[in-house]
Amino acid sequence: MKQLRQPGASPEVQSWHLHKREEVMGTVVTLDTYGEGTKPPREVHVRAARARAVLQRADAVFSTWKEHSPLNQFRRGEITRDEVLPEIREVLQACERAKFISDGYFDPWALPGGVDPTGYVKGWAAQRAAEMLYGPGVGGAVVNAAGDIATCGSPAPGRPFQLGVADPSDRRRIACVVEISGAIATSGTSERGNHLVNPKSGQWEARAASASVTGPDLGLADALATALAVAGEEGLAFVEATPAYEGLVIGYDGSWHATPGFPFHPLGNPSGRAHHQPAEANHEH
Amino acid sequence: MKRAGIVAVTSMVGFAGVLSFHAKAAPLGFGVRVVAPGAGQTGPTTTTAPSPATSAPSAASSQARTATGAAVNYNYGVLSVSATVQGTKLTNVTIASIDDAGNFRSESIDQQAVPVLEQEALQAQSANIQGVSGASYTSAGFEDSLQSALTQLGFR
Repeated sequence: MKQLRQPGASPEVQSWHLHKREEVMGTVVTLDTYGEGTKPPREVHVRAARARAVLQRADAVFSTWKEHSPLNQFRRGEITRDEVLPEIREVLQACERAKFISDGYFDPWALPGGVDPTGYVKGWAAQRAAEMLYGPGVGGAVVNAAGDIATCGSPAPGRPFQLGVADPSDRRRIACVVEISGAIATSGTSERGNHLVNPKSGQWEARAASASVTGPDLGLADALATALAVAGEEGLAFVEATPAYEGLVIGYDGSWHATPGFPFHPLGNPSGRAHHQPAEANHEH
Repeated sequence: MKRAGIVAVTSMVGFAGVLSFHAKAAPLGFGVRVVAPGAGQTGPTTTTAPSPATSAPSAASSQARTATGAAVNYNYGVLSVSATVQGTKLTNVTIASIDDAGNFRSESIDQQAVPVLEQEALQAQSANIQGVSGASYTSAGFEDSLQSALTQLGFR
């Protein structure tokens, strides 16, 4: 049995973990809150309910499946960009920024069927939900939207969140473990089939089996991970040029490329994955 | 060890489960947390907080015991999970049944995501992680049923 308690965490200190989930945006979003004490303070339950409401509202506003969603009204031209809800305006502006940062590899305007900011919205909503969860009495909060994860705080004092990155060639395995304060998004073709469009060619294609981006905001990380999966290794340049964001690309041939600051866990990976030790990752730039 | 209090467990409809845990929880993948022995701990420990859930048999037995969790809805069908524990260690997790009613989208998910989740649950137990980036889908139904199986085994 491996050591389950982190060194330094006093066994006398009580801690709680509150786990909730929300079926929303076509997937399941989990919300986890950590803190010290015997049980979560009442306000934590209130904040969890508000965080779930954040996700529900994002789904209602930005759904491309619900015919009468505010986003679809805008896509059909029934309302102009000046008339849209403030959050739609905010998301569209953020998407423009992400398009610029990613050299056009993230481009919601190039998708078939009209502007579709879905690639940004899921991360954006999860980020807002995590920030809603995090507050007085809470040590750490994690919102996991189908593998795109926003964190605030830490799971225990002095201990960062440790998150696995799924191995694109065998999703039964974890390719590596990262240690982050912030967010991580992973995009790739293995989990959901070839679902990425290269905005530059209009073709369904992705040059990386999997691309992960870490950074302070899950919305931008999500957009950049999508762009990086399409762009492949060369996309690490635009991630590297974005302050506080780091990227990892796993190729179809199993090769690894990462920006120098990618937050690999110093001890690497679960047992049996020695060949994927971060030390062997091909650091570029 | 038995310091986790399960406030509410499986829901057949929807995913309304609420799990509340205390210290010494060994994380499983996808937010599942199952209490396992802390390093160096031997024998039963005192329960430090009142648990709304009923108490369960001792997990100190070294015999392998298996239980199948409740059938729960997941995104594309119904599944149930079988868990085996030996002493205080979770040794195996399998899908006991899965019915996706022929849902096309579900088939590919079943083939990929379900084995993923089995492994993730075991891997994460030792990796001590709070989530996996780049994997998704059946996790909620899976964790509900797994929690239900583990509760039956008194492995909490």
